[in-house]
Amino acid sequence: MILNTLLMAASPLLAPVPAVPDVMAVKVGRAETVSDGSIPNAVILIEDGKISVVGEDLPIDSGIPVIDLGPDSIAMPGLVNCYSRQGLDSRGPNDSRPGTRASDEVYPAYRDYVELLEAGITTLGLYPAGNGIPGRAVAIRPQGDTADEMIVADDAYLKILLRSNSGSKKMIRDGFKEADEYKEEVVKAKEKWEKAKEKWDKEKKKKEEDRDKKVSDPGPFTPPEPKPEAKAFQELRDGELKALISISTAADYLHLVDAVGEEEFEWDLRIPVNRNLDIFHVKRQIGELGVRVVMEPTTSLHPNTRRLRNLPAELSESGAKLVLVPRSDSLSNQQGWRRDTAELVWAGLDRETAIRAMTLEPAELLGLGDRLGSLSAGKDANILFFTADPFEPGTKIHAVMLEGKVVHGEIR
Amino acid sequence: MKPLTLNKTRFAAGALALFALSLPAQAYLPFVDDDDDEEEEESKEVPEEEKDQYLLVHNADIHTGAGEVLRGASLLSKNGKIAEIGYDLEVPGRDFFTEIPEEERDFRLRTIDAQGMRVYPGIVVISSSGLTGTGGDFRDSINPFSQNMVLGLAAGITTTGSGRAAVKLKRYVEQEPPLPYDFDGVVLSESTYASVSYTSSSARRSAREKFARAAEYLREYRAWQTLVKKDKELKEPDKKGVDSTTLEILQGAVFARFRASERDDLLNIAMLAQEYNFRPIIEGCREGWTVADDLGRAGAMAIITPRERRDKDERLVREGGSSIENAAILSKAGVQVAVVPQSKGVSLDGIVGRDIMHLPVEVGFAIRGGLSDDLAMASITTVPARMMGIGHRVGTLEIGKDADLIVTDGDLLHYQTFVQYTVIDGQLVYDKQQELYFSHIRPRAEAEPKVELAPEEVLDAGENPDEDGDEGEEHTDGDDDEGGEGDDD
Repeated sequence: MILNTLLMAASPLLAPVPAVPDVMAVKVGRAETVSDGSIPNAVILIEDGKISVVGEDLPIDSGIPVIDLGPDSIAMPGLVNCYSRQGLDSRGPNDSRPGTRASDEVYPAYRDYVELLEAGITTLGLYPAGNGIPGRAVAIRPQGDTADEMIVADDAYLKILLRSNSGSKKMIRDGFKEADEYKEEVVKAKEKWEKAKEKWDKEKKKKEEDRDKKVSDPGPFTPPEPKPEAKAFQELRDGELKALISISTAADYLHLVDAVGEEEFEWDLRIPVNRNLDIFHVKRQIGELGVRVVMEPTTSLHPNTRRLRNLPAELSESGAKLVLVPRSDSLSNQQGWRRDTAELVWAGLDRETAIRAMTLEPAELLGLGDRLGSLSAGKDANILFFTADPFEPGTKIHAVMLEGKVVHGEIR
Repeated sequence: MKPLTLNKTRFAAGALALFALSLPAQAYLPFVDDDDDEEEEESKEVPEEEKDQYLLVHNADIHTGAGEVLRGASLLSKNGKIAEIGYDLEVPGRDFFTEIPEEERDFRLRTIDAQGMRVYPGIVVISSSGLTGTGGDFRDSINPFSQNMVLGLAAGITTTGSGRAAVKLKRYVEQEPPLPYDFDGVVLSESTYASVSYTSSSARRSAREKFARAAEYLREYRAWQTLVKKDKELKEPDKKGVDSTTLEILQGAVFARFRASERDDLLNIAMLAQEYNFRPIIEGCREGWTVADDLGRAGAMAIITPRERRDKDERLVREGGSSIENAAILSKAGVQVAVVPQSKGVSLDGIVGRDIMHLPVEVGFAIRGGLSDDLAMASITTVPARMMGIGHRVGTLEIGKDADLIVTDGDLLHYQTFVQYTVIDGQLVYDKQQELYFSHIRPRAEAEPKVELAPEEVLDAGENPDEDGDEGEEHTDGDDDEGGEGDDD
């Protein structure tokens, strides 16, 4: 109690001081903030699970516990794996079900969540399984006893799988058609309601005895319930939902552009990197759109040759916003995510882009750019602490902080 | 001869430029299409998609496929169609438009100098697999980047029968500024033929029933057409039991395609065709040479593989089996012949030269068997185009037809010849020097090989043509050193 009072008196930095502030300062040799570049000799002030300030050599008021991790230490935001089925099975339908939510499947007892946290993954985006339009993804923290405790945000994105065939393209066109039809349906319902209302208003003016018994009060207007397709695609149009469209070849991209046509909505791309990926044919077009591309940190070969291509780097250089995800959902690949990305950096990917692609960019994709993904004031204190360069082979995570709490390792 | 033509063109351009200078700026009219009476508006900015696109192939020996060969001539395409063929063409961008910077012109012009080369119509192959998309709906499944498509273009193929559809090998072309991919131009025709089975006795019975019923209906219908003019009340004949496909065959809307190789089957088909008066296409037709006259009288067309080898049935006395003269004998009897290789797809292993990439080689064997060069060319251009009902668009180089052509460094049917350029709908979709596959074999003299395979940062095993050059230099250095050492000794 005395300590608290002291704290309150001695912290001009912390403007609205909560009743029981949980404050702590960590000094690191370097902070990779992602949003504001790399800060040497950084002090990170953490309060109530949030980062309240990050700066170089900030004076720290006495009374706040300070942990100095030494000049070689590095802090970076917690990793965000925005495209995963971790903890969920992989069977799903092949048709259009944009109403399905991955949040209904979240299984808190899944054993590997702890190890994901230990690997530095503090946020997961889980997508619903299936081809076609399997549904909406959810953002979770890999900790919690119930699904509600785990969920950070629902309806993160609508997953759409597009392949070069008429059925797949039709699914997108049909979705928007459904939305159009629903709009007309609402207009018709509204007209009908207005007529009923008019009739009722007339009837109301009459005396109780003279009233036509058949005419009743229609009440306030309630629009008809939309089909899940109509609802999802209307949300896409209104910008309430964004789409993550999975394509696997350059041809798929052209077919996607053909299927989308004049329709305007926010969409990002998921492009699984395989050995012979030919997406470089359209990298300029994708770059000009400036969409996000979700890719694995792996090099591929120019088709029919033995020449290495670093497609994530190429797309990033073309102007696309790179988002990296582990090579697969297996635990070893999740744990090796940092190492794989380091290999990509070695093969030519810009280092800052690489860090951003594992933190802020996926956070933005999940619609959580204002809460996660960088070391900046106001964001959740999801922080990884290293004692050496995180992209050096063999560098282990010293500690993982999830929303201000150390969940792995120790900081002293 | 050729420089003279060039000078003439320049002279003409100069004269035009002088003429144009004396006109006010807005009176600049494109002199290309005299028949095209488009009023050139004064609008400053024409959107890229709406700009007229021209492609000029000049200084070439143009084999039109329609009879004549034009030496040292030029071909101009406008918006995907052939606009002009011949000498001293009026080409925008080569006249007074040369004064206007390219980006300010309201058209795009691309030029291919085909000095010493030949131009042929793009090859039409009656059936192939794997060159375009995967599914039945080619518009929505085409892969405009596929390796097989590029290899098909390298073989000079511009149109192929694929399933029942006729599809163009429309590759996506990177250009500055980019244009959207022309999905609607992919499929030429959805249904190019009607398949009829006529080799087993049960199939023959059911086919005969269908033809009989369809013919009966057609007779009734035609009678009704004349009678209804007098009696308006007269009912249309009953269509019950009429097979719609068979009806289409009899109406001439689509060709019937049979698959048969044995003499008896061929004769049966010829009889059916004569009885019901339609033109059959016979795929296989191995023993066609033994009954060529009957097939010719029936107006049959044949799809054959000249290198097919099959001995005749030893129990029979009559002639039979395969013959290298099949194509020649059938042609002489009036049967139009289209050629396909043994394997319909691109196969990069196995015995070389039997897949779709070696179609001209396959045709070479028909020539060996006595087929004339012209008919050999027709067997991979006009005849298959006609068989698929797309002869009005592809197969020959004529004004108004699709600008689908190939530029080769020699006789197309010679084994040494390479396709240098392939053009589809007036767009350059294949340039040998720009592709991975054959650029290193007898490279074009004027063109620096500059195959862009992967960006600079990429680790390279030293196969890059540029680096080859470097290596070459190092090599000479090495030789010099050795020479020096020799001197020392």
